[in-house]
Amino acid sequence: MRNISSVLGRLAKSISISLVLLFAVTMTSNAQDVKEGAALFKANCTTCHKIDKKVTGPALAGMSARHSEEWLVSWIKNSKAMIDAGDPAAVAIYEEYNKMAMTAFTHLSDDQIKSIIAYVQDEEVKLAEKAASPAAAGAGQSSGANNFMIFGLIAILILAIGVVVVLNRVTRTLEKVIVNNQAAIQAAQASNESFSESRNAKFAKAFLKNKKLVGFAVLMLVALLAVVGWRTMWNVGVHEGYQPVQPIKFSHQIHAGVNQIDCQYCHGGAYKSKNASIPSANVCMNCHNTVTASDHYEGELSPEIAKLYRAVDFNPDTREYGSNPRPIEWVRIHNLPDFAYFNHSQHVSVAGVECQTCHGPIETMEEVYQYSPLTMKWCVDCHKTTEVNADNAYYDQLIEAHEKLKKGEKMTAAMIGGLECGKCHY
Amino acid sequence: MKGNMLVMNKKNFLGTVCVAVALAAVVSACGDGTTRDAGWEFSRNMYDPIAYNPDQLNNNFKNNQTAQIPPVGTTPIGFERFEFENTPEDYQRAGTELKNPLAVTAENLAQGEHLFLVNCAMCHGAEGKGDGAITKDRFVEDSRGRRQLENFPPPPSYAKSTGSVSSRGGAMSDLTAGKIYHTIYYGLNAMGSHASQLNPEERWKVVMYVQELQKK
Repeated sequence: MRNISSVLGRLAKSISISLVLLFAVTMTSNAQDVKEGAALFKANCTTCHKIDKKVTGPALAGMSARHSEEWLVSWIKNSKAMIDAGDPAAVAIYEEYNKMAMTAFTHLSDDQIKSIIAYVQDEEVKLAEKAASPAAAGAGQSSGANNFMIFGLIAILILAIGVVVVLNRVTRTLEKVIVNNQAAIQAAQASNESFSESRNAKFAKAFLKNKKLVGFAVLMLVALLAVVGWRTMWNVGVHEGYQPVQPIKFSHQIHAGVNQIDCQYCHGGAYKSKNASIPSANVCMNCHNTVTASDHYEGELSPEIAKLYRAVDFNPDTREYGSNPRPIEWVRIHNLPDFAYFNHSQHVSVAGVECQTCHGPIETMEEVYQYSPLTMKWCVDCHKTTEVNADNAYYDQLIEAHEKLKKGEKMTAAMIGGLECGKCHY
Repeated sequence: MKGNMLVMNKKNFLGTVCVAVALAAVVSACGDGTTRDAGWEFSRNMYDPIAYNPDQLNNNFKNNQTAQIPPVGTTPIGFERFEFENTPEDYQRAGTELKNPLAVTAENLAQGEHLFLVNCAMCHGAEGKGDGAITKDRFVEDSRGRRQLENFPPPPSYAKSTGSVSSRGGAMSDLTAGKIYHTIYYGLNAMGSHASQLNPEERWKVVMYVQELQKK
């Protein structure tokens, strides 16, 4: 009996040890898989996939529940072959994503693909934990806030009752005092009225009699009005510092500053046309078809980006555009009078003026305002000091024309542009 | 009595002036110089063009826009049509049929580089390695506090040395001019169409520069 039990005990021990060892081995191999999978995922998948969100391709969370590992490996290796072979699940995905085939990753081994799947599963678990914990934390927080508010309200109520009671007692005491001293109060009131009346009248009389003082007061008033009037008139039509409220809280600080997106990416007219041009909303959608800023809105779409989606009639869930776009009505800030001609490309492309020279530190402006006065004096001051870059074919012509004049050659109006349509018909 | 009064008045008056000046100085120093108000304008109609600006509200049209979309099937003067559809078949066809019409010159390449830096580099990186500014971790600090901005999914690298694969098959460094042009025109995956930002000549200049980056 003893023998048997000891043998059994040893057996159990060895089995349990081997099990632990096996478990440890699988755990480490799993961890390695996840690590390798993370690197492979970053290199091959993030262009089109996110774990928790549908982007170009489907959200990957839950893919192991939807398909077997075998199916996933074969799909990732060559989805096109599966679609052509008529696999129903493969064809369904192909149809759902407008017949956009996924890249064939034939260069990945089965083990590599399995480690990517392991990584996605690992992220899935993390995501589920995260979803569970912040919800609980959030609930706790919100109930905490509620408790705080209730206690605050009760405290205020008690305080208010206390104040009412105290004030009531004070009024009662004062009323008693008034009743006791009625006669004395009336006498004092009468004398006070007559005194203040006579004092005001005396002051006015004395002031009006002193001509110098009156003259001085009038002079000061005129000077004040003149200064205010002068300044107001000089600022008529000058919109320096103008910062209107825009329909979308677009931050140049984020886009031009932190993201380092070139000004001309959006204002593409600046280097080739008269106008710098306000980008049409499709330019915004180049990035915002994936960027939703949902990290800062508890997984929901940012309300400002939602305005953009409304403008282009984009449905972020189906990722399709509707047929009812509504333009964004931006408020114009820089507005040169129509009688003054200004050309952006001349300044940006030819003169090489930086945007910031006129528009100020635009890459730090959360909300844009007009930096420069855009007055004629402001233009003229800059033109007086700006040196012309003479390496320009335009000036070669000019110099040539002057050489001809010096030599005494004949020059007609036509030779210096007299036949250009715009000289007469503008 | 009268003299007394005046002395007091003068003092009061001077005091008032001092207070007024101080108040004016304080008030005028308030704010950061920005205003929600456009201020006074003299003859506003001189600011507004007689013709409509392209981006101006226009009640003459049903959709209140001045810039109307051209009717279907029309081609504006000077507009080059791109005769390839946004399908995998036409992508392959563009890859074999289209050649860059521009000669590889230093000037074209320089312009291509500039256009690439302006229009592509924020995602693709200055060297086309898929490491542009918006694919990296970055933070902003503004009126809503300090926070991290979302990373844009990084595109694959063009460079031969990195050996990245295109999502439509083949190595990124083997993409032909026509395929690159097709992708600029229609966009692909996370990338949007850049047809409205670059005209055909500019697109070909960008293609030329990208093909230089492929060699790296």
